[in-house]
Amino acid sequence: MSATKLEKLRSADYKAPGGKLVRIRLKEEQGEIRSVKITGDFFLVPEESLGKLEKMLEDAPLREPELRLLVDRFFRGTGAQGLGVSSDDFVKAILAAKEV
Amino acid sequence: MTETWRLVDLEYREDPFMNMAVEEAIPRMVGEGESPSTVRFWHNSNTIVIGCFQSTRLEVNMEACKETKTEIVRRFTGGGAVYHDSGNLNYAISLRKGHPLVPGQNLQSVFEKLSEGSVQGLRKLGVKAAFQPVNDIQVDGKKVSGAAGSIRWNTIFHHGCILVNSDLRILGKVLNVPKAKLEDRHVASVQKRVTTVRDELGRDVSTREVRDAIVGGIESCYGVRVKSGVLTREELGLAEELFQTKYSRLEWNLEP
Repeated sequence: MSATKLEKLRSADYKAPGGKLVRIRLKEEQGEIRSVKITGDFFLVPEESLGKLEKMLEDAPLREPELRLLVDRFFRGTGAQGLGVSSDDFVKAILAAKEV
Repeated sequence: MTETWRLVDLEYREDPFMNMAVEEAIPRMVGEGESPSTVRFWHNSNTIVIGCFQSTRLEVNMEACKETKTEIVRRFTGGGAVYHDSGNLNYAISLRKGHPLVPGQNLQSVFEKLSEGSVQGLRKLGVKAAFQPVNDIQVDGKKVSGAAGSIRWNTIFHHGCILVNSDLRILGKVLNVPKAKLEDRHVASVQKRVTTVRDELGRDVSTREVRDAIVGGIESCYGVRVKSGVLTREELGLAEELFQTKYSRLEWNLEP
């Protein structure tokens, strides 16, 4: 079986409580994120940092503790400011992604 | 001494891409100290302006855009997609970082503070407008204006659009509103959760009248003087460059 056959597409539209919509489209392979695209109507400053978060999530296990660690590290490391979306919302949105 | 803000009315009504290039050129030059604090008013013909983090494919009904000859342009700030037509008034405020009006680096405070001028202008016209976090101006729970902004290029930047007498029927057609968003707000459609200045006042009102009211709101709210001006040669050159390299390009406007 080729590697691509094991790849699953997952997606979620997650509405942050009192905030904005986070839309996740990710490729998962054997419990790990191969790639993820995060879109939505939230605010994140600096705007260019979102690409960094997506990159950091590549090959991460699709499990809460590891994701939380990575997303928290992203916010601390970049000093990025979210509005209408928090670190917790990004984690919950990714975990909510269901197979399509 | 009272600070004077430059008032710019430069617009490209039929060219939303050039409009957005100008929108970016101004804050960049304000941040470099080359241009003064500026408020700009402008219009687009039928256009969807999509937030910088949004997926055009997910948010926009492309077929409806073709049918209604609606253009799609991505802006450089976050937030949600909005529909512009000539009944929609856009405004943008660019202040150098550290400006005493918004001394912090908190985007929520920027939205709140720099929406005040519009809120006050609308109230003077008789619209019971109030700022509603995260980034809306509402009248009795209905959105009449949405804002977006950023802190970058050494600038505090805030822009918003005000539904003065827009055609809300087209708005409902060209934007896909995700179920998760509607369910959260307990309303059935985008059309039912927005309103216009015309509907609130129950009379015809021009975007010029609203613009003048907002200029008055800005002057009284922030204690500044707003004086008509034009773009500098540098700003125009930068806008042209941004148009060529970014806003006229499909990869910027339609991806991801």
